[in-house]
Amino acid sequence: MLGFFCQAGLAQDADKLTSGPGSTLTENKCKICHELQHIRRTPLSRGEWADNLKNMRERGTPMTDGELATILDYLSAYYSRDPAPPAAPDSLSSAGSDPIAKLLEAHACSGCHTLDKRVVGPSFREVAQRYAGEAGAAARLAAKVRSGGQGAWGQVPMPPAAGIPAADLATLIGWVLAQK
Amino acid sequence: MDETRRSSRRSSRRTFLSGVAGAGAYALLGEAAAQDKPAAAPVPAAPPGTVTNEAIKSGKDASMQYHSERPLTGSVPAHQHDFDVTPTDRMFVRNNLLTPDIDVAQHRLAVKGLVDKEVSFSLDELKKNFPAVTLQGMLECAGSGRTNYLPTASGTPWGQTGGMGCPKWTGVRVADVLKAAGMKSGAAHVAGQGGDPGMIATAAPVIRSVPIAKAMDENTLLAWDMNGAPLPKIHGYPLRLVVPGWVGSASTKWVHTLTVLDAPFKGTYMTSSYVTPKWSVEPGQKMPADTVSSEAWPVKSMITFPAPNARVKGSDRVTVRGRAWVGEDSINRVEISVDEGITWQRARLASRGDRYAWRTFTFDYQPQRLGYLTFLARAWDDRGNAQPMVSGWNPLGYFWNGVHRVGVMVEA
Ligand code: HEC
Ligand code: HEC
Repeated sequence: MLGFFCQAGLAQDADKLTSGPGSTLTENKCKICHELQHIRRTPLSRGEWADNLKNMRERGTPMTDGELATILDYLSAYYSRDPAPPAAPDSLSSAGSDPIAKLLEAHACSGCHTLDKRVVGPSFREVAQRYAGEAGAAARLAAKVRSGGQGAWGQVPMPPAAGIPAADLATLIGWVLAQK
Repeated sequence: MDETRRSSRRSSRRTFLSGVAGAGAYALLGEAAAQDKPAAAPVPAAPPGTVTNEAIKSGKDASMQYHSERPLTGSVPAHQHDFDVTPTDRMFVRNNLLTPDIDVAQHRLAVKGLVDKEVSFSLDELKKNFPAVTLQGMLECAGSGRTNYLPTASGTPWGQTGGMGCPKWTGVRVADVLKAAGMKSGAAHVAGQGGDPGMIATAAPVIRSVPIAKAMDENTLLAWDMNGAPLPKIHGYPLRLVVPGWVGSASTKWVHTLTVLDAPFKGTYMTSSYVTPKWSVEPGQKMPADTVSSEAWPVKSMITFPAPNARVKGSDRVTVRGRAWVGEDSINRVEISVDEGITWQRARLASRGDRYAWRTFTFDYQPQRLGYLTFLARAWDDRGNAQPMVSGWNPLGYFWNGVHRVGVMVEA
């Protein structure tokens, strides 16, 4: 019996979800009966997560309506199978062999940002508008992208892009700030 | 006597559950969680009175592949299923809740609901009062083969062929037991309930009902032996339902109560799980309002020999071997294709054994050229249904029965 407890303890220390608003609540509720791998292994659409949470509540998960709503928002943002919204004609994805588009793709920025629509993060156009003419904006934004952060646009955090080469980062930030 | 036994079981279950709930792991959960502090609540351990994963795994073959640890789920791949009768140590493992460690001396089966008289039996009384039957019968998890679906559907990631097996079961007919209780008019469904506990007191019990006609089928059993030996704990010791041919959830393990109802049971394991859309949905979409309860498996087969990517000599004949089954009706034929489904040739089919047993097929083939050679197997039932190349998508990923494909390397 003891062996089992130790092993279970070890296995579950590593059993975590991506950090984000609602992740601790989700971890605490969803690891009671089974491992969190159930969540990680299959990204779902928002509708499927809504069905799943209804089901988990029926199966006995203690959670209030408010908690369910938070968990639904969290799961649909971080474990989503929905593709990003279709690109507008003038947005990055239509840029083809554009070197900027390639950088955004290579560093996974385009998973969360487009030129002119909010996806997970703000659109690059609204970023440019907000910091237009602001001294030191480029350096500050570069540091923010490298270390990640939240609070400037809402409570959803941007994960750190620690490994991005300085030259790529400078190119991207320069380009972002040049959008009108 | 019956009454005292039964109530003592109930109260021990209650104490057990409150013991688990009071263990401290959850007491603070609501509060800590509500504030969403990064301090994670302690991880609950497996409660006493349940069987450990180690103990379960020690009864299983080394070829078993485990798909999750909590709960433990596992199965062997198709080429490890090359047996006419599935050995106990290769039978798939799947529970919704925990695996109970039950004292057979305390265990009783109660029959309640729309019956003339409520009855209950110990295992010895079942053996004494009713004729014993041994038969070979298929059990397969509803989600067997789920990982073939694109996009991936939610649930246990069973491998390509999935979690299934066809052992021999010994027990008494559910029909005989129901007749002993006498069914009232209006009886339509029979619900099985097992003694598997959840991690917390609020966990819904796994209750599943089957229509009377299926319950009364002479192949539907209350079984205590698997392949001639008492059921292992993970497979339902001391008593389980065996509803062969139907999705595994119908075959309630550790069964302690049969309730005769006038309609399908309405619990979550009937209405939110083990259902498919009445009208198919676009892949990746949620479950529609109109659903159908999961019952018999459609026609299915797998190649159990040779193993994927085996090396064979071009000068030698290859004997392809496999197993074919269908939830109701019978297998009509199995065909093999060596050209990716353009043409098909008949395999030899072993004669029919027990009604719900899988059937072995073989196909001799002389390789025509060197290089990679792919065998496809497709079974037909006697209603003219065949396995599709790709099964229709459904939100919970049930009933995968797409054509199985195994490739080998033909060498000089
Ligand atoms: C009261 C127990 C319980 C709690 C708490 C619980 N679940 Fe489950 N969950 C189950 C059971 C039982 C199953 C089916 C058996 C299995 O695979 O673990 C399941 C299965 C799943 C599956 C696989 C799909 C399926 O329907 O089988 C997913 C995904 C899932 N749970 C997500 C969650 C999430 C998200 C939470 C937190 C909100 C949660 N669960 C909390 C009991 C629970
Ligand atoms: C997982 C999603 C995600 C990824 C990947 C991502 N971002 Fe972000 N980004 C966000 C979010 C969310 C915000 C808003 C953060 C906030 O409110 O402070 C943001 C904000 C920004 C901002 C504005 C920061 C501010 O303080 O106003 C810039 C510039 C930016 N991202 C650039 C990038 C670049 C360049 C990349 C690729 C290297 C990238 N992002 C990758 C989600 C993401």
